[in-house]
Amino acid sequence: MARNRTYNRRNIFIVVNVIILAAIFLTIRLGYLMILKSEDYAAQAKALHERERAIKAERGKIFDRNGIEIATNKPVCTISVIRSQITDPEKVIQVLSDLLGLSEERVRKRVEKVSSIERIKSNVDKEIADKIREYDLDGVMVDEDYKRYYPYDSLASKVIGFTGGDNQGIIGLEVKYDEFLKGIDGTILTLTTAHGKEIENAAEDRIEPQAGNDLYLSLDVNIQKYAEQAALKVMEAKNANNVKLIVMNPQNGEIYAMVNVPEFNLNDPYTLIDEIAAQYEGEALSSEKEMELLNGMWRNACLSDTYEPGSAFKIVTATAALEEGVVSLTDSFFCPGYKKVEDRIIRCHKAGGHGSQNFVDGIKNSCNPVFMEIGARVGVDNMYKYFEQLGLFRKTGIDLPGEANSIMHKKENIKAVELATMSFGQSFQITPLQLLTAASAIVNGGNLVTPHFGIEVKAPDGRKIKTLDYNISSSGISKETSETMKQLLEAVVSDGTGKRAYLPGFRIGGKTATSEKLPRRTGRYISSFIGFAPADDPQVIAIVLIDEPQGIYYGGTIAAPVIAEVFDNILPYLGVEARYSEEEIEKFQIGSFEMPDFIGKTRSEVKELLKIYDFGELYSIGEGDVVIEQFPLPGEMVELKSDLILYFN
Amino acid sequence: MSRTAGEMNKRKMHSYYDYSLLFLTLFLVCFGLVMIYSTSSYNAQRVYGNATYYLERQALLGGAGILIMLFVSKIDYRIYITNLPIIKIKPVTFLYFLCIGLQIYVLLFGEVINGAKRWISLGPLGSFQPSELTKIAVILFTSYIVQLAPRRLDKFVGFLRVVFFIAPLLGLIVIENFSTALVVGVIMVAICFVASKKKGYFVISAILLVAAGALFIILEPYRSERIMVWRNVETHPKGYQILQGLYAIASGGVFGKGLGESMQKLGFIPESHNDMIFSVICEELGLFGAFALILLFILLIWRVFIIAINAPDLYGGLIATGVLAHIAVQVLINIAVVTNTIPSTGIPLPFISYGGSSVMVILFEMGIVLSISNQIKAER
Repeated sequence: MARNRTYNRRNIFIVVNVIILAAIFLTIRLGYLMILKSEDYAAQAKALHERERAIKAERGKIFDRNGIEIATNKPVCTISVIRSQITDPEKVIQVLSDLLGLSEERVRKRVEKVSSIERIKSNVDKEIADKIREYDLDGVMVDEDYKRYYPYDSLASKVIGFTGGDNQGIIGLEVKYDEFLKGIDGTILTLTTAHGKEIENAAEDRIEPQAGNDLYLSLDVNIQKYAEQAALKVMEAKNANNVKLIVMNPQNGEIYAMVNVPEFNLNDPYTLIDEIAAQYEGEALSSEKEMELLNGMWRNACLSDTYEPGSAFKIVTATAALEEGVVSLTDSFFCPGYKKVEDRIIRCHKAGGHGSQNFVDGIKNSCNPVFMEIGARVGVDNMYKYFEQLGLFRKTGIDLPGEANSIMHKKENIKAVELATMSFGQSFQITPLQLLTAASAIVNGGNLVTPHFGIEVKAPDGRKIKTLDYNISSSGISKETSETMKQLLEAVVSDGTGKRAYLPGFRIGGKTATSEKLPRRTGRYISSFIGFAPADDPQVIAIVLIDEPQGIYYGGTIAAPVIAEVFDNILPYLGVEARYSEEEIEKFQIGSFEMPDFIGKTRSEVKELLKIYDFGELYSIGEGDVVIEQFPLPGEMVELKSDLILYFN
Repeated sequence: MSRTAGEMNKRKMHSYYDYSLLFLTLFLVCFGLVMIYSTSSYNAQRVYGNATYYLERQALLGGAGILIMLFVSKIDYRIYITNLPIIKIKPVTFLYFLCIGLQIYVLLFGEVINGAKRWISLGPLGSFQPSELTKIAVILFTSYIVQLAPRRLDKFVGFLRVVFFIAPLLGLIVIENFSTALVVGVIMVAICFVASKKKGYFVISAILLVAAGALFIILEPYRSERIMVWRNVETHPKGYQILQGLYAIASGGVFGKGLGESMQKLGFIPESHNDMIFSVICEELGLFGAFALILLFILLIWRVFIIAINAPDLYGGLIATGVLAHIAVQVLINIAVVTNTIPSTGIPLPFISYGGSSVMVILFEMGIVLSISNQIKAER
């Protein structure tokens, strides 16, 4: 056998040296990777291991002017499954389909879908989620979440608006103030395996979510409720398409109420309201059509739709004429029932004409020829100057999305006929809100306000974040003109077309309007009334529009009482006390007396007493002869003509 | 220094046994089991619902391998080139033809795992990779041929004669498994290198080998793609596995994340208990752990080197050289691949990586080396 020679050993030694050199080289390479490249690669690896899970921030709440929550959040849960962690899929499917009210097939599809995490259902009520938690099923995740909740359902729906799945505002104030309300989502950083499974007890980096800020509004829930009730009542009584009603403070533009009936339910905004659904009964709606109908349902017509203001616009014409000094209250006019402008005969609403009258009568009667006359005296240039000053060429700047602008003639196209029709509110269109803003400027002494809802933004802990400021500019209308206009408009209500807005004890000013919708002569009208109170120092101004009322459609007849009803409710609420004039006390038998004691009296004695006192209705309950109980109680101060209830033994 | 067999037999009392090599071997196998448990438990739990699935199998085969090693170490290695009594054939020749047979069988009927036809299914026992057995055959057979006429290796023709004998085995492996063929080739060349007095033609054959290798890479599109991956590991879509290995190595830093704390083994490195196990060792034990492991391999190689130079005859020296080359080339290529120092090729880390055939073959080889050490006449 061959021997192991020296050169063989030397050769092995060479081989081993080569190996050791290679090993040293690889060790250096390792050192390079593990020391110099360590940070870089480790960061890349970490990015691969970390999963980010968002924690939704709680959206800010919305409060009315009294601090009542009108948009808040309800804790809800999102149920999802992590496929790789499920140990008993059949039980998971059964429990989830039972408790969530989903079909077994649907749940099975989600559970068996190959994905790292699959959402089964979101917006699940907390009680149901707690039940699911109790089962303690592997691979089923219950994440707490918030859902926007509106305690008043449909109240001011088109103003407040609602939010979408990602907690973002969709319409209304929810959109406008989204930036303040939405808050900042937090994140949880977890380590996961390559299969998306979270590693338990792995160090979690958690960035807390920051709740959104709260929004405080000028809207008053009570006024809004009164206004909605009144609007709803007239809509139903007159079988109208819809009724719009805005209540605002004319001094600063704070809106107390904005009604667009029919309203929709903010907690269920994607369901068509009955009024709309009924029109499409039995029809299969395409998704585009349905979306179109929903958009229509969500539309805030008070500021998105324009209309011909009609006679209510005479307020502006009269103001322009007084300000220009082209008319005095004592100027006399004659109305034959029409006025010929160039070659056209434009009729007054009173067929026979109002005959001879001064300017005050003209406005009380809402006489068209009078206003055509003074409109002509003012002239196109000056008319447009006041339109401009009263903000009729621009949006009001209200803090709601979707505001429309007016549709006006081009100045160079206005001839005598156009000027005449414009003088009584025809042949152009403005939004109800624009008219309300212009009227506010006229009655508040000449200040053009910005109508608004938002007052201030506060952090959830009550810290003030931002006070919302709005522009108030001078419209150039003088104080004197403003005073005159207030008196004139008060006269309209106390003794003119607006007398159905009259409210004993309160000084109310206003103007009626009946606008014929285009195309004309189709019998479709918008009855409206704009009113303010108290007439000498307006604290509140309101406008109501009744769209296509059936039957009687005169603004003075059907719209004015709506405002009277609203004012009757809200003026005492706003701290405007009733002050009755002598005449009113007598006429409406206003006064009070102390309730006499009927208890123990016989029927004949009661009869005698009733002759002395001035009661309204008498309700006698029981068959006996002697009074055992009475209401109101004896000694109470009651108003004249109060009802009396007597209980006999 | 070397003695004849007769002399050795007379002095059995004083025969030597390399216990340090035995200890190093056992330590590496056990360390391998720990790392296999660490790297495979997540995948084993996920796939088989049993965290110790891979550990159990490897421990079983590793234990069997150790018994085989101890048995083999007690057999005189010269028996392989002695004619067997009845069938009149040398075991080494038998092994040579057995490997050729198995290689042909696997090419025709082999089991395809991960897209390569390299395994023979053994039913419930798992599968067997004949190319691993071929490594033993090549070590023993090359040494046998070379020691028959060692002076022939001084000429290139002598080298070609060896290549001629080994070519069938090499050729059959290279069809399906380039990396094993590379290891086998290196073992063969290392043995020839040690046996030859003249070195000039090795330079020529090295150049030829490189040229052949380059041709091979160009001809096979998937191999040239590997070059692209190697150059652009961070951007190439197929660099995923290597990049994940690099992430693991780099995030280990100097002291590592601690045993069992690897993130990358959680599915990011596919089959992290196989060829990529070294990257997880780096992640968990850091640069120090990795360096310690490399040092252990160097120590092991050093012990084999000591045995090789003290071997009683050239045959024993050449076998030890072959085993040394086998371990060294696998360790170096494996570490070079996971550190992206060379283009990726699938070579397991000896003793550590999961794989029954691999660990059994290595342990068998260690048994032979120990048996060589056992034939060394003790000087003490």
